[in-house]
Amino acid sequence: MTVRPVLVLPHQVLSTVAAPVGCVDDRARALAEDLFDTMRASPACVGLAAPQIGLSLRAFVVDVTGHRKARSCHGPFVLFDPVITAREESEIAREGCMSVPDLTGDVARAKYLTVTGTGVDGEQLALEVDAFEARAVQHELDHLDGLLFLDRVAGSHALFERKVYR
Amino acid sequence: MTILRGHFAILLVVAAPPQVDREALERVLVPVAEAFDLTVAIRPLSDEAAGTVVTDREQAPGPSSRAQESVEAREAWTIAVHGADRPGIVHAVTSALAEAQGNVVDLATHMVGEPDSAVYVMTLRVTLPAGKAAEAAARHVGEAASELGVRCTTHRDEADLL
Repeated sequence: MTVRPVLVLPHQVLSTVAAPVGCVDDRARALAEDLFDTMRASPACVGLAAPQIGLSLRAFVVDVTGHRKARSCHGPFVLFDPVITAREESEIAREGCMSVPDLTGDVARAKYLTVTGTGVDGEQLALEVDAFEARAVQHELDHLDGLLFLDRVAGSHALFERKVYR
Repeated sequence: MTILRGHFAILLVVAAPPQVDREALERVLVPVAEAFDLTVAIRPLSDEAAGTVVTDREQAPGPSSRAQESVEAREAWTIAVHGADRPGIVHAVTSALAEAQGNVVDLATHMVGEPDSAVYVMTLRVTLPAGKAAEAAARHVGEAASELGVRCTTHRDEADLL
């Protein structure tokens, strides 16, 4: 089990477009294990992308199991080289990020989407996700494009500090 | 509305009937403010200053109002700037905006992280000249930010709805 340190703003890797993984080999599977281990080390974490642990590769894990906002739930899964192939409707909701620990923000995301990619055994996956799981997928996929939720906030007053006002 | 060093602060632009002047508003608001140990300041705005932003879509066929005719076509955009804190970020971004005929409508800033590695986060709602000029203006602001080593992303407010 390897829990990796999570990079925080303004680390350059978080603003870099990640490289494709390509063939899913033992190194890619080890990356997936590290992502799962690191995600599970933080109880509130429902997704983690490879750049957040310092690897600029197109891979992320998501697990919204048991989350009160979730409707679709595919359990814990990893996607390599993910692509969103369809999206519908949108809604604005609050989200946070392990790499931006002091802020949350209101972000517009698609409510329904189809995401394709390669699974942990090299199989091609096409997942239909909605609600919170769809939001998590879009958030993680943004990391692979060097984007944080800060870059998508819905207006100038859509960011909120986690700490109490003084 | 916000809290500034523990003090409640709010700024409102309101419309009132012509017969309601500043003194009339003060007569009703000052006693309420004093009851909460607040101060209140009221001043009139000219019609021009109170005018609203008109987007391309709002100017599409249909009855046009005097306010619409008096304001050039502009688009609302949101700009996010974040990076290691250093002097000059606000100056660089707002100067670039001014050069591109941009106008800051609203702005919020946050300082996050540890004192020895503070991160400055600024979000702005701006209006830009409509059409391709807006995209050029957004690029210009992004370039100004990148010269300071901070990240700057822009999106049309309409683009919030996917």
